[in-house]
Amino acid sequence: MKYTPRQAESNVNVTPTSPIREFFVLMGGLLGIVILIYIVLGLAVNLIVPHISVDLEKKMAAPFIRSMNAQDADTTCQHYVQALIDDLQGRCTALPYHFQVHVRKAPTINALALPGGHIIVFTGLLDKVTSENELAFILAHEMGHYAHRDHLRGLGRAVVFMTISTFLFGPESGVSRMVARGLSMTEMSFSRSQETQADEFALETLNCAYGHVAGTTDFFEKIPREQDPGRFGHYFASHPENRLRISHLRDISRDRGFKLADRKPLPEAIKRSKDSTPGKPSPSAYP
Amino acid sequence: MYDLIIFLILIAVGYIAGTLAEKRHYRSIRKRENAFLNLPAVTMKGFDYPAEKVRSAKMVYGSAVISIDYFKRMLAGLRNIFGGTVKSYETLIDRARREALLRMKEMAGSATVIVNVRIETSTIGKRANKKGVGCLEAIAYGTALTVEG
Repeated sequence: MKYTPRQAESNVNVTPTSPIREFFVLMGGLLGIVILIYIVLGLAVNLIVPHISVDLEKKMAAPFIRSMNAQDADTTCQHYVQALIDDLQGRCTALPYHFQVHVRKAPTINALALPGGHIIVFTGLLDKVTSENELAFILAHEMGHYAHRDHLRGLGRAVVFMTISTFLFGPESGVSRMVARGLSMTEMSFSRSQETQADEFALETLNCAYGHVAGTTDFFEKIPREQDPGRFGHYFASHPENRLRISHLRDISRDRGFKLADRKPLPEAIKRSKDSTPGKPSPSAYP
Repeated sequence: MYDLIIFLILIAVGYIAGTLAEKRHYRSIRKRENAFLNLPAVTMKGFDYPAEKVRSAKMVYGSAVISIDYFKRMLAGLRNIFGGTVKSYETLIDRARREALLRMKEMAGSATVIVNVRIETSTIGKRANKKGVGCLEAIAYGTALTVEG
């Protein structure tokens, strides 16, 4: 056998390929899968929420509620708002929750409905209200979110993760705690129709509790024109929307024959505490 | 945001520098392979040369360490998710092995033939035993025989 030296014409060990093309195909595939999961999670929210029992919801809420209870101060405000909500719940709404109010010192003019029946009321909001009816409307509005379980939908895709982790690992596990820590409650968002439904619920509740619906639109009419709109929570999202909400509430009141009467003033103790604590911004208002 | 910009710069630098280096390396490999065409390197253990005709026999070896660029590592990482042929590593291994063979031939100098050639590959660098390839070493060794013609 004679050895004939020659160089191989083609390289079998290297696939002739365009790496850029491969990169875009793989990257596109990965992005596609991520987007698909994101969409599926979004759809899963609406499928899962009606099946979350109040019991499971309480379990889910446990990891982040504990730190909130520790921050609660035993104040007149807290007792007053709690008594007000207990009264509404006992006489009119009878929702399957044990509502617990947490008053937080912050200039934010907002209230939040957290899972498990925990309602956060910021002192900025308490400073703004002038009558008990007005405050009751806000609380009833939050209860309306519970009635339609918007507070779970508002958490968005996080609620899917929370449900899965609570189911698989239990509420006290590290995974559940990690998921809870990743949540930012203040970013809860509700759609316009969810707000409208909650408004209607609140209107019914107020009519039941006081026999009239005075004070329901007071809050929306207090939009300060010059102030920074960022400080206002979902009660004052935007001007045109507020006008719509006010006129919608008035329409319903008229249609259903709800009466108007004198507003019930806030108790003297609350007024005094409001005067003594001007709404100073506190740095650690919310965990 | 800054992370993304740094990431994109790394990818672009990796792609451009990596492609240029690879092209240059392949040009050099082909040129030197042509130059060494007359020195066969075979895997056979030996030839039937009469012992007195073999003037010298010595061990020769050559090793090359080649690193992968950022872009290709990225590509291979994506491949790790979906599975399939990791094409972006093929040129890396091919270059390392051919470079090692060439260096071995260079060491052999004026020998007639290199017998019993073996090629081995190992990963080196701090990522060697973990996931992903940092850089790769190929070592080729054999016995260079100088035969009286």
